[in-house]
Amino acid sequence: MATTTVTRAVTTRTARGGRPRTTGTPPAAKRWWRTVLGVVFTAVMLFPVYWMVNVSLTRDQDMRKSPPNLIPIDGTLHGYSTVLGQQLPFLGTSLVVGLGTVVLTLALSAPAAYSLAKLGPRGGGAMSFVLLIAQMIPAIIMAMGFYTIYVQLGILDTIWGLVLADSTIAVPFGVLIFTAFMRGIPDELLNAARIDGASTWRTFTAVVMPVSRNSVVTVSLFSFLWAWSDFLFANTLDGGGAAKPITLGIYAYIGNNNQEWNSIMATAVVASIPAAVLLVLAQRYVAAGVTAGAVKD
Amino acid sequence: MRTKTVVRIGALVAAASVVAGLTGCSAQSSGSGSSDAASGTYTFWDPYPQYDASSAWGKLVAQCGTEAGVTVKRTGYDTSDLTNKALLAGQQGKSPDVLLVDNPVVSTLAQSGILTDTATSGLETGDIAENILGAGVIDGKTYGVPIGANTLALYYNPKVLEAAGVDPSSVQDWDSLTAALAKVKAAGKKGITFSGINTEEGSFQFLPWFWGADADLTKLDSAKAEEALDLWKGWIDEGYAPNSVIQNTQTTSWQEFQSGDFAFGENGTWQKDAAKEMGAGVITIPAKDGGAAPVPTGGEFFTIPVQKDDARYATTKKIVECLSSGDNVVKTDNTLNYIAASKDLQQQQLSGNADLKTWVEAVGAARARTGDNLGVKYPVISEQLWTAVQKAESGSASPSDALQAAQQAVDDKLQK
Amino acid sequence: MTTDTTSLRPSAARPRAEDTSSSARSRRAHAQRRAQLTAWAFLAPVALYLVLFYAYPLWKNIELSLKHYTVASFVSGNAPFVGLQNFVDVFSSSTFAPAIWHTAVFVLVSILVQFALGLALAVFFHNHFPLSGLLRALFLVPWLLPLLVSASTWSWMMNSDSGIVNAFLESVGIGQINWLTSPDWSLFAVLVANIWIGIPFNLVIMYSGLQGIPGELYEAASLDGANGWQRFWRITFPLLRPVTAITLLLGFVYTLKVFDIIWIMTKGGPSGSSTTLAIWSYQLGFGSLLPDFSSAATVGNVLIVIALVVGLIYARVQRRLEV
Repeated sequence: MATTTVTRAVTTRTARGGRPRTTGTPPAAKRWWRTVLGVVFTAVMLFPVYWMVNVSLTRDQDMRKSPPNLIPIDGTLHGYSTVLGQQLPFLGTSLVVGLGTVVLTLALSAPAAYSLAKLGPRGGGAMSFVLLIAQMIPAIIMAMGFYTIYVQLGILDTIWGLVLADSTIAVPFGVLIFTAFMRGIPDELLNAARIDGASTWRTFTAVVMPVSRNSVVTVSLFSFLWAWSDFLFANTLDGGGAAKPITLGIYAYIGNNNQEWNSIMATAVVASIPAAVLLVLAQRYVAAGVTAGAVKD
Repeated sequence: MRTKTVVRIGALVAAASVVAGLTGCSAQSSGSGSSDAASGTYTFWDPYPQYDASSAWGKLVAQCGTEAGVTVKRTGYDTSDLTNKALLAGQQGKSPDVLLVDNPVVSTLAQSGILTDTATSGLETGDIAENILGAGVIDGKTYGVPIGANTLALYYNPKVLEAAGVDPSSVQDWDSLTAALAKVKAAGKKGITFSGINTEEGSFQFLPWFWGADADLTKLDSAKAEEALDLWKGWIDEGYAPNSVIQNTQTTSWQEFQSGDFAFGENGTWQKDAAKEMGAGVITIPAKDGGAAPVPTGGEFFTIPVQKDDARYATTKKIVECLSSGDNVVKTDNTLNYIAASKDLQQQQLSGNADLKTWVEAVGAARARTGDNLGVKYPVISEQLWTAVQKAESGSASPSDALQAAQQAVDDKLQK
Repeated sequence: MTTDTTSLRPSAARPRAEDTSSSARSRRAHAQRRAQLTAWAFLAPVALYLVLFYAYPLWKNIELSLKHYTVASFVSGNAPFVGLQNFVDVFSSSTFAPAIWHTAVFVLVSILVQFALGLALAVFFHNHFPLSGLLRALFLVPWLLPLLVSASTWSWMMNSDSGIVNAFLESVGIGQINWLTSPDWSLFAVLVANIWIGIPFNLVIMYSGLQGIPGELYEAASLDGANGWQRFWRITFPLLRPVTAITLLLGFVYTLKVFDIIWIMTKGGPSGSSTTLAIWSYQLGFGSLLPDFSSAATVGNVLIVIALVVGLIYARVQRRLEV
């Protein structure tokens, strides 16, 4: 029905960076009303995050005050001073692990998705299904399996080991997103490259990847966030030592008989800031284009 | 546009590799200690992740290693993870050389076959108090030595008690305790807080009352056990204990006590410094008909896992003995807020700090949870016990029904 | 996500001329084989990756559930093969039926509410207004937090005596509700926390789905006199069906595995009132001082089978929609 118009819309939209056309500009007053509503929704949604900050500034003896303080009056910066004094190197490790996961996930999932979407491998459908099943395995089972493998290979307590483990969270999802998006890439674009004599690989790198920029950002964002906040794999595979991610840094405050909650929450706050900044910067590009293939019927 | 993305990704990869290379190098210099020759690296696992290498404990471990002529690589894990990590490592033949674990877990690890007994490792138990050593003795063989012991007592807030007109020394048995709680509630304050959560902590906190009623862990459905559970349930129903005890860990319960609204808080030796700071006092937990209730021992054990190369045991033994005896262990126990495991060392601690008197007495009367040859039956019983306590606390079953179901479940599981 | 790939074979593999001579046929066959090899070359890294990192843990898990492991045999490695006995024990356990029920409620309510809220918010943010970009990004912040922290924060907020939620409820006249300590409310409490954590994911996917709908359709509809509500139900929702399907499927698979939130908030209690299959599996393997790995693996496998069945249903439905 509207295939050609849709295809054109998809191409121009992606070329322009994913900013959709709106249904006309409503009057200024209506838009501000929406802003107010948006702020209210966001405030409600982020209230627990505010509470986390509140707890991070609370003294031990006020932790279980009933009713609790809405604002940390008689607050303490003890949590933050400990965190900033001890945890910053772990932020560095987390960053490395996050970036590594992104690179590995992209490297693995993009070519595979291209194949599934455009190259028609025999058994491709089965492969897609297997990737779906792969996501069904509970994380603890994966972690125990990895432990056995890693201990034999001697890569326990290494950053690359953790990157590998964290990528298993993101790769199947990455393939899914890329496949759905790449299926929407018009064949004419690829044929044009082929006529010009490009090999499949060159078509992939020179034509497909640039056009998929939004999916690249989406998959990168998801994999970074999942790796950044991962705790289970880090705990099982990177027990301690100097090179542990920030999520494990929290353990410094969880003793066998005592937990320092203000420091724990302070660690979480400090850990969230870089990721939050990244999020705000990247949100412009996040457009999985998941519908592109679907609208094409 | 294309080149920019490629350049961006390329830059990221480069940056990541450089940083990873630098940090990865330092992480990989560890090596696999267990298979090294006798004068090399010895691995040491303990449940104190809050102490890093620069802490007093970290330095002490390193020092004992140097004295034994080797380097010790120490890793602190969360105590609830340690059992499984130890089992997984044992399965792969990569057990650490020294494993410091919570005492009720020793029998599980011993049964799994990953621990050496003192006959094999040559570790001396010396004059360690029998009731504290009990958790490490299974079928007549000893599998480790305690680092110290801690236990439970009843902290009280003198201000709250004074305002309610209660004299702490009048709390001698259950009836007088409940009466005191009633008075405190009448004065507008809160009575008692403890941890009744569905984990080992909950069982740990319930045991003084369970044993105080003279109940037996092998008979969860006895009338005496029911009395103990009725006590807790009664307090919650009357409002003497808050509803949150169902979910409280010992730390959370302590924080409630610290807020200053509670008259009593059941908690352990490790809070004694914090208690002193807030001006709280401490009495032993009363038994049902008077006297001090038997309390469970807490605290970790040094164990020596089985290694392929048994020439390592000699050095490992030296490290453990360095850490578990003499001035070293007294210092450690004072830092951890534990009581030392032998009478002489307890005297040494007392001479340094007379406040420990109540605690030394409590530890003297304490019992190991896996003692009385309960061994690996204890985890099964404990799980059913905390389940029954939760059912009664939350009102989903009466104490007698809950305990009967618990005993039934224990019998079923142990039969298999 | 479709399983039909025939329409996507690159046109270069199909020769232009309708030449039926044998040399042309063999050229065609050769070209097709080369195309398949290339296709699989692109897929090979992921295929290898799947075998190494997913197949092994899965196989280990199946092996754990088909043998009877005690702590001793777990370490030594020789455990007796017991066939399906572990499964029989699990199915006949008194925890099984409640666990299935709690899992069903938890998963279905979670994904439906998360989806509905995510979609509503996506539609709301789709109309660009000042700050919409920033606010939408801020909505993703819950996602950044390690689950340990989010779950702990919710635990604190829902504490019966010192939690802010009860303080608020008391200030508006409703009494204290024992969110985490009452068998009646515990499942509801973990549902709320889980929905909160799941909204960002749904918001992102649905929002990008909305962006894929061309504006012309809306313009045409409003020219025809359709109001906002009609535009949503007649245009937006039907066109979002494939995205909806994949979001709900992924939501199902992910929520089935959820464990951290429930474990930290209630540990499956009180008295098993919030125990789902994932929690039960963890409880058996890691929640007591005496791990029972065989039973834990068995429950884990039951979980995977349920997810598999739903996945198969999804694939079947997808294929029918494609036809």
